[in-house]
Amino acid sequence: MKTFFEFSNTSVIRKIKTGILCLALTLVFSGCLRLDDNLYNKTKLTEYKLDNYTGEVDFTLDNSYHIPDSLVHIFTLVSQASDESSATTISAIYIGDIDSVATDTVIMYCHGNKDHMDFYWQRAKLLANTKGKNRFGVLMIDYRGFGMSEGKPTESGLYADVDAGLKWLKSKGLTNDRLVIYGFSMGTAPATKLSAEPRSMKPCKLMLEAPFASAEVMVQDASGLALPGTMVTDLKINNAEEIKSVQQPFFWIHGVEDDFLNITTHGEVVYANYKGTYKEAHRIPNAGHSTVPNTMGFQTYSNAVGDFITQH
Amino acid sequence: MRFKLPLLVFMCFLFSCAPTRFVKPLEKKQHAANLSLGGPLFKYGTATIPIPFLTAMYGYGIDSTLTGFATINVTSALYGNLQLELGATKQLLKQHKYFPALSVTPVANIIYRNKDAHKFYPQIDINAFWEYGKRKNFFYIGLDNWFELAQKKAYDIKQPNHWMFSPLIGHDFTGKKWNFKIEAKIIAPNLSNEKLTVEYQTPFKNHGALGIYLGYTYKFN
Repeated sequence: MKTFFEFSNTSVIRKIKTGILCLALTLVFSGCLRLDDNLYNKTKLTEYKLDNYTGEVDFTLDNSYHIPDSLVHIFTLVSQASDESSATTISAIYIGDIDSVATDTVIMYCHGNKDHMDFYWQRAKLLANTKGKNRFGVLMIDYRGFGMSEGKPTESGLYADVDAGLKWLKSKGLTNDRLVIYGFSMGTAPATKLSAEPRSMKPCKLMLEAPFASAEVMVQDASGLALPGTMVTDLKINNAEEIKSVQQPFFWIHGVEDDFLNITTHGEVVYANYKGTYKEAHRIPNAGHSTVPNTMGFQTYSNAVGDFITQH
Repeated sequence: MRFKLPLLVFMCFLFSCAPTRFVKPLEKKQHAANLSLGGPLFKYGTATIPIPFLTAMYGYGIDSTLTGFATINVTSALYGNLQLELGATKQLLKQHKYFPALSVTPVANIIYRNKDAHKFYPQIDINAFWEYGKRKNFFYIGLDNWFELAQKKAYDIKQPNHWMFSPLIGHDFTGKKWNFKIEAKIIAPNLSNEKLTVEYQTPFKNHGALGIYLGYTYKFN
């Protein structure tokens, strides 16, 4: 009697041949798995709740940062990447007086890869209240596939979606000299790209919080080996190279204890590669990836951000 | 920023993570086909699970103390990489009562995606094993050693680690025509696993990763 593990030789050899054939077919027809989609940690929403959002957030501001309803505008934009045949409708929030966009200084806030604008609402409020109550206008969008935005995230879509926001600002009369672009984490990719290779508008200043150098560095950090990133991802995102083309004044802020995007292998490389007119670095002791503002203290953080915007 | 699905961890140790191929050589002119599944444990939500790396191997007993083998990493293939292990296991010492038998396995790890993305990693494994009982099941301990030859990483950052060693312990259940193996490995306990994007689970808190593997080998002549 044969045990579970024992079969006749001919049967097994046939199975092995079949296995080898399957393996060969796998090799020929596979290779389709990539890690690209894992960059987008999106969550869908049916409505934006902003201050009433009860899900997880990095921090919550007190009432002194409250934004009056009259200065909160939720609307949709149409975004279309150059390689797309049809447009995608995405959601946006503008904090400020739309009628005075033409004369205000506006921060285009490019959020990170997690969740949606409800999650980043506190961060947007903090920026809006930098250097005074509702001092700056802030535009934030949900990339396609995030929050209430339609579609599926793609790398070219990230850039197109942020550019759709810039088009809207331009249509409201904003000029390049009063446009500041701020990217956090994954949002540092469109912020850097659109500073280096401007499309609808050319931001006059670039601010990056916890930037990543490239997908390849993420692969190498995670594996401990000098592996080519293309072995697992087709993402072309490469802030460390893009930053070389940025001439606008540059502000970099990064938590020293960032356990996701290591300050040494990511942030320092981006900072070192900047060759433009002015740069400043803020290495925040004890801060992790998502805790820079609260570790610094909101006021200290706001002062650093505000000083850069107003003085350089 | 966090990755929603921990599939990202497939990249981590994807290339350096597999169970020991042969601890004890095959008999002369014996063939073997093996499938192994397992990988480092990582935190997934509130659970800790192993990454399911799958490898397939063919081995041949060149003589009674030397077995050659070739392995393909199926998981890596699914990502479009041809990853092969070519190696040989040589038994150096026979078991004498409680003194274990000893084998050494040099391996060439070749990973090829295209002309711009390919790697070679030399590896050498040293294992001691103790056979017991009628069926000659055996218990083994060993040390895997992977070597990163590159001096630089992206953007000319110095590659800090050139030696990744992994102590392991395992047991091989032996049948006439099959072997079933279970193995646990501490992957790179000399390296910090902090600030690495992924939360590996390890008994050494912030160093290395713990890997668990299962392997089934069918032997035929």
